[in-house]
Amino acid sequence: MSAPEFNAVLIGATSAIATETARAMVAEKPCRLLLIGRDPAKLEAVAQDLRVRGATVEIQSADFLDPATDWKGMLQSFAVGRALDCVLVAHGELSDQSACLTEGQAFARSIAVNFTSAAFIASVAAEILATQGHGTLGVIGSVAGDRGRQSIFLYGSAKAGLDTFLEGLRHFHAGKPGVKIVTIKPGLIDTPMTADVKKGPLCTSAKKAGQLVWQAMHKGKPVAYIPGWWRWILLVIRLVPRAIFYRTRL
Amino acid sequence: MNTRAFYSWGRIAPVFAHAIQAVWRDVLPAIEGERLAYGLGRSYGDSCLLGGGTMIETRGLDRLISFDSETGLLVAEAGLSLDALLRFSVPRGWFLPVTPGTRHVTLGGAIANDIHGKNHHRAGTFGRHVKRLTLHRSDGRVLELSPEENSPLFAATIGGLGLTGVISVVALQLVPIQTAFIDAELIPFTSLPEFMALSAESEGGYEHTVSWIDCAAGQQHAGRGIFIRGNHSPGEARERMPHQAPKLSVPVDFPEFCLNRHTVGAFNTLYYHRLGGSRKSVRQHYSPFFHPLDAVNGWSRIYGKRGFYQYQCVVPFDGGLEAMTEMLRRIAASGQASFLAVLKTFGNLPSPGLLSFPRPGITLALDFANRGESTLALFRELDAIVRSSHGAWYPAKDARMSPQDFRASYPALDRFLPHVDPAFTSDFWKRMTA
Repeated sequence: MSAPEFNAVLIGATSAIATETARAMVAEKPCRLLLIGRDPAKLEAVAQDLRVRGATVEIQSADFLDPATDWKGMLQSFAVGRALDCVLVAHGELSDQSACLTEGQAFARSIAVNFTSAAFIASVAAEILATQGHGTLGVIGSVAGDRGRQSIFLYGSAKAGLDTFLEGLRHFHAGKPGVKIVTIKPGLIDTPMTADVKKGPLCTSAKKAGQLVWQAMHKGKPVAYIPGWWRWILLVIRLVPRAIFYRTRL
Repeated sequence: MNTRAFYSWGRIAPVFAHAIQAVWRDVLPAIEGERLAYGLGRSYGDSCLLGGGTMIETRGLDRLISFDSETGLLVAEAGLSLDALLRFSVPRGWFLPVTPGTRHVTLGGAIANDIHGKNHHRAGTFGRHVKRLTLHRSDGRVLELSPEENSPLFAATIGGLGLTGVISVVALQLVPIQTAFIDAELIPFTSLPEFMALSAESEGGYEHTVSWIDCAAGQQHAGRGIFIRGNHSPGEARERMPHQAPKLSVPVDFPEFCLNRHTVGAFNTLYYHRLGGSRKSVRQHYSPFFHPLDAVNGWSRIYGKRGFYQYQCVVPFDGGLEAMTEMLRRIAASGQASFLAVLKTFGNLPSPGLLSFPRPGITLALDFANRGESTLALFRELDAIVRSSHGAWYPAKDARMSPQDFRASYPALDRFLPHVDPAFTSDFWKRMTA
């Protein structure tokens, strides 16, 4: 008899952070994973990697912009006959802000991807975990949501909305001690999403970020900065008076 | 597109280039103009750089594709680092067939430089263990290469310095191990003839051999060093723990006064005498045995802001001892030697690669802090010795060899040239073909 498998669903599974989180999970224990994303070929490449590492992996492609996408059905059919231990909502898009600010379609898409679909999937997943009375939901937010900054406030405001939504969702499910909802706020991570962002000494590798996300989900504290010291940087950024803040190029 | 600074490991001359990430093996990014794949930037000079062109970053191309636990054949994307590979393979009882002195290189980089390790006399170069690879050419063709299929292009790509295209997938034959440990023996020697005798005596019974040599020692101690040999240690499967991430790092460039002939001389003297003049046997983890410098992240910064050169050459056995003796004399006299000097004999196992560096003979590799003209003048003296003994220089380590010396080092160059992809080049290649 082998140890019971850890059942996890990763949404936006082809993102570098999600992939590395899955690798950290698989390195630790036997896992059965469902990877959900847009592109089946990319999902298969990630799935194959995790299978070679020892996991049992299924893939499912989905349309994140279609309100009719049946997230509940996908999660439930994976969880038939077993408890869902963990759901990670990791999809997101860092779009060209200046284009979005003048083009309505692009603006709406950015909010739909980064807020609407992420919040909706989180509420569906939380409901399932609450019903079974067990499991951890992690949702990738961003340090960009902690204060509006001229360089990144469209993305940042979607993530801020997600932050508030998740706080409410935690409150809503506060009566179920077996369910944990974790808002994960990565700082600057070296991933394809941030390929065009200037990197400095504060940049963290995707591999390290994935390990920290997995640790944060383990701990289950409501808000986790990745790495943890971003909490203090953002504290300072939030406290800077406007008169000074507006003179920076942050 | 993002333009940023790219460094090689010697940190002498960073270049600005367009950066584009290759993330999915089936759809490499579309690129205009000159290009070069860039893995982890551990080549020392300019062979991994292309200033003003497009650097195709491969570190995200790091997925495993298949692993046969019966035969040890691993298929993976070419941006996979040897570090990540070992973390996967060691607990499963398999090891790299050839490992260089650092784990922080990609599979693609290991192939492009046809790297060697302490077991060259037994296993040859990395390229001998590559069973198959996938190469993307700039005209859109995606080719499967192996010693049997498209073998001329395969031979050009092994050690081909990334000039034949982007490698996306690699099939590598691993070797079985019982534990993660090495039974190692450290033997002090006092002269080069003693080193040669130890090398000859150890080739049969030891998988891995290498020497550290004190290049700062004055006349009376010239040629002293420590011979290191070892074999994978037998034992239980529970001893197959992979390496840990380094706890130390060098976050900033050291000031230049830290390394000088006195500090280096003192270090070398202490290092030599740590054995107290006698042999020592140890059972150690593979990490300190193969990759001692990986224990410190970013160690090259100890050489300061101006960076450093590495000089690696090989001279044939015939006349090699005399050539090596003369080189060590010049290096010691210059007062520029560093503490990382490595001496090893290469065996005669041929590589499939046309531009492969290792060949039968004695190879010397050592670092020199960049002191500008005085360092380059020393290299010209060493070059003359290597040239007169019909030796060769290693492009992966080089930032200053002459096109004539490159041509003399690589007699198969003319067979290599037709396989170069016209869109691929590097600063090294431009320097060699100018």
